[in-house]
Amino acid sequence: MIEYPSPTADDLLVIAEQVWTSYLDPEGVNPLIQMPPGETPKEVSAAVSVTGAWRGHVVISFSAAASRHAAAGLLGIGYDDVSTADITDAVGELVNIIGGNVKSLLPEPSALSLPHVQTGGSGHWPNVKEVCSLFGLWHNEPLTVSVLEGTSSAAEAGGVGA
Amino acid sequence: MKILIADDSRVMRQIVTRTLRQAGYEGHDLVEASDGREAYNTAKSEKPDLVLSDWNMPEMTGVEVLRQLRSEGVQVPFGFVTSEGTPEMRQAAEAAGALFLITKPFTPESFKDALDSILG
Repeated sequence: MIEYPSPTADDLLVIAEQVWTSYLDPEGVNPLIQMPPGETPKEVSAAVSVTGAWRGHVVISFSAAASRHAAAGLLGIGYDDVSTADITDAVGELVNIIGGNVKSLLPEPSALSLPHVQTGGSGHWPNVKEVCSLFGLWHNEPLTVSVLEGTSSAAEAGGVGA
Repeated sequence: MKILIADDSRVMRQIVTRTLRQAGYEGHDLVEASDGREAYNTAKSEKPDLVLSDWNMPEMTGVEVLRQLRSEGVQVPFGFVTSEGTPEMRQAAEAAGALFLITKPFTPESFKDALDSILG
């Protein structure tokens, strides 16, 4: 039987650094800086759910400015040229990429949902426990990547809500 | 060559387009699809020479698109560009007839490794 140690903040950092190196900071001038655990930003959140042998969610929470930087970086456009649709698409794709890589560390078989994005307030996650979180600072703005494991069948219903 | 890029994220379709250019594959005719059903329809109507498809999309997944095309005898070269690269998914992709599976995040080098035999 294959052992699946729980993902850690270090695992999230390795995955995030790959994403930053590939798409958000290819020149190495604005890296994601890991910070001590602190407050999770609430302005924009993006999540994918995993269902199957492991159930839970991978969530990225951004300050409004961090989400705008993410969209500008992924699209290769100016910070001030970013639209709301750009932000929704960009942070959804970011959590899809990071969630897909986190899923590779989790028990199989499982399935990854399409991303959910919420702006103007953080999502509510009933019946979950935090497995690990990466607190980061990017362009001097906060973002947090969290892995939340469902503690009951309620996790299967998804957790994005007001 | 005509290349179909299928991904429900517009951002990712732009990144794939940019990475093709960075990998040295310029001058190709690019067409896009924003979900699996549109990918299937576009593959049938546009007759691309290569399909680069996300796996997890609304309407139809990428592997469903590939299976449907193959079941109808459409043998277009088809590869996945996806955030998941588990052994199970690679096996499923290969069994359905995919030539390669590139995992996100990717680099121009990973595009070259997968595409040089087709576009090089």
